[in-house]
Amino acid sequence: MAMRMVGMALGKNVAMVVVAGCSSVIQGIGPKNAYGYPVLNIAFAAGPAAASGMWRAFKQRNKDVTVVVWAGDGGTADIGFASLSGAAERNEDFIYLCVDNEAYMNSGGQRSGSTPHGAVTTTTPEGKKENKKELLFIMLDHNIPYAATASVGYPHDLMDKLRRAKEVKGFRYIQILTPDPYGWLFDPSKTAEVGKLAVQTCYWPLIEVVNGKVRISNESLHCLKKETRRPLKDFLSVQGRYKKLSEKDYEELEKFVDDLWERILSMIS
Amino acid sequence: MKIISGNEAVALAVKLARVGVVGIYPITPQTTIIEELAEMKAKGEISTDVVRVESEHSAMGVTLGAAVSGVRAFTATSSQGLLYMHEMVWWAAGSRAPIVMVVATRAVGAPWNIWNENTDFMSERDSGWIMAFASSPQEALDLTLQAFRISEDPRVFVPMMVGMDGFILSHTKTNVYIPSQEDVDTFLPPRRQPYVIDPETQESMGNIFQPVHYMKLRQSINEAIVGAKDVISEVGREYEKVNPLADYKTLNVEYKLDDAEYAVVTMGAWSLDAMEAVDRLRERGVPVGLYRVRYIRPWAEEEIERALGDKKGVIVFDRATSLGRGGPLYLEMRASLNNPVKGVIAGLGGVSMNKKDFMDAISRSLEEIRRGDIKDVTWYYPGEVKEVELGTPRSAI
Ligand SMILES: Cc1ncc(C[n+]2csc(CCOP(=O)(O)OP(=O)(O)O)c2C)c(N)n1
Ligand code: SF4
Ligand SMILES: [Mg+2]
Repeated sequence: MAMRMVGMALGKNVAMVVVAGCSSVIQGIGPKNAYGYPVLNIAFAAGPAAASGMWRAFKQRNKDVTVVVWAGDGGTADIGFASLSGAAERNEDFIYLCVDNEAYMNSGGQRSGSTPHGAVTTTTPEGKKENKKELLFIMLDHNIPYAATASVGYPHDLMDKLRRAKEVKGFRYIQILTPDPYGWLFDPSKTAEVGKLAVQTCYWPLIEVVNGKVRISNESLHCLKKETRRPLKDFLSVQGRYKKLSEKDYEELEKFVDDLWERILSMIS
Repeated sequence: MKIISGNEAVALAVKLARVGVVGIYPITPQTTIIEELAEMKAKGEISTDVVRVESEHSAMGVTLGAAVSGVRAFTATSSQGLLYMHEMVWWAAGSRAPIVMVVATRAVGAPWNIWNENTDFMSERDSGWIMAFASSPQEALDLTLQAFRISEDPRVFVPMMVGMDGFILSHTKTNVYIPSQEDVDTFLPPRRQPYVIDPETQESMGNIFQPVHYMKLRQSINEAIVGAKDVISEVGREYEKVNPLADYKTLNVEYKLDDAEYAVVTMGAWSLDAMEAVDRLRERGVPVGLYRVRYIRPWAEEEIERALGDKKGVIVFDRATSLGRGGPLYLEMRASLNNPVKGVIAGLGGVSMNKKDFMDAISRSLEEIRRGDIKDVTWYYPGEVKEVELGTPRSAI
């Protein structure tokens, strides 16, 4: 789904780098692929490094090609993180998309650094003890020209961001929350709805930071004030992965959301 | 007896060995080992510290750190994961840290392929580990338990990895004899290791060596691996008290070789198919037997010479490659034997080989040997290469 939006927003001159993850499988069997782009499939941790080589080669050949890395949250927050951080620090000229379904879904739903507190995965059958890694802030600390978050629940917002990212030069990071019915345990027909609930309950912010300037999407403006946020349980209770959530876990998650917005507030004031 | 998969058998071995720390990272087809361990941990069945790290490099890092600091440590991986871990695999060997790792084998990309092939495992054969390869879930359990004892033996003190065929063993359920905790506790002495990083001992490890000392260290690892043959046989005999049905007195395994004029060499799960092929060929009067390699390191030179040295021809099946040169088992056999050796590469990336395919490949190879015109290595494709179905995305790469 997110892949289709990328196609619509970025147009034709795109070359993709896809690291290990669901997206390396849903392409279908090689050597052709179902995306309509040239795709370099590559080892799990190597995406940002490969993209660094690719855009440089296109530049030398005077080709105007937008290089896009497509990686999961595990590939981003965990195994690929060193390579990602290196490319961001060098301000390499490509777009990095982190497709965040909050676990290692392709290998069967194990916890990743991006899995939230309390969520049950196959390697945290008792619920994860630690909080989700704050990738957006970590990437912003690399002083990159463009960073944003999006949700498949709000496709127009996502496509706007992709279009704007395309116009920026340098390292661009977009993290897209993509609810996974099989890993989060909800009915597949509710994917977009769950993606919306994440935003409405302020669990997931829709923001964009261009050269240090913060812009909060309309869908997330109500989150700036705690009183206007929709209760977090509206998002959690529709998913099976939170079935083992204790009162304390719930408070932990609420605090996570409070801290998140406090930090965003401090960025705009 | 319990009907379980190879991965479940390995997880049980880890439990029975009372492992202190495991560093885990998912990759198909090994993943169910670590999921099982996480499940056991959640149920309070093991007190093992299960560390869910962010990469295989770190999985071995955690495992090594725990091992040199004095506790029994384990990890498991496959394919890309083993390759990504490669640097730390060598570091563990150079540290002479007793560690056990299980590798559920799988093809290596590019392109992506999750199916079985042994090249990932075989590519570590220069790294300085003891390396055994199972042919059944039972053997995976047995070898994993023995691995702790072997690698922690003061005459060895080298890490040990146990391979098993991905999916074919890792995911297929068979009857497995589960040893009792009591018997395993008697079999496995408390942890022993060459040194422990500890403020009390003030030991350090890994700091720069003079070139000569470095070379001597490498030689000592080499000698420890070669010398491990005796330890392996000894541990194998001891293990009969843990599993009375087991036979681990020798490193490798012979099948109908005594009166055979020709021999087939295999490793891993497909040995059973090859054995059936041998049976059928014998019924047709072909004097052929089979030799199953269980240990890659140490390499059982003497056993091999004794078993195969007098055969008119030896046909080696590799489910792995050393591209540009043939299969690694074939190369090893050629280095050990002076009689004619024919190499066959088959079953890569999930291509399946059944009894009939083996009969066909063996018969063709025999013709070459009898004609005295051996074409080094044949890439064998079964008569009808079946279309391999890709799994669902969730069970994939
Ligand atoms: C070095 C290495 N280790 C492990 C794997 C196995 N593996 C493939 S995809 C995957 C999980 C991917 O998770 P994520 O990055 O979150 O992407 P998703 O599948 O959830 O989209 C794993 C563990 C691999 N391919 N390479
Ligand atoms: S639904 Fe989930 S498991 Fe399936 S391809 Fe999408 S993210 Fe992967
Ligand atoms: Mg994921």
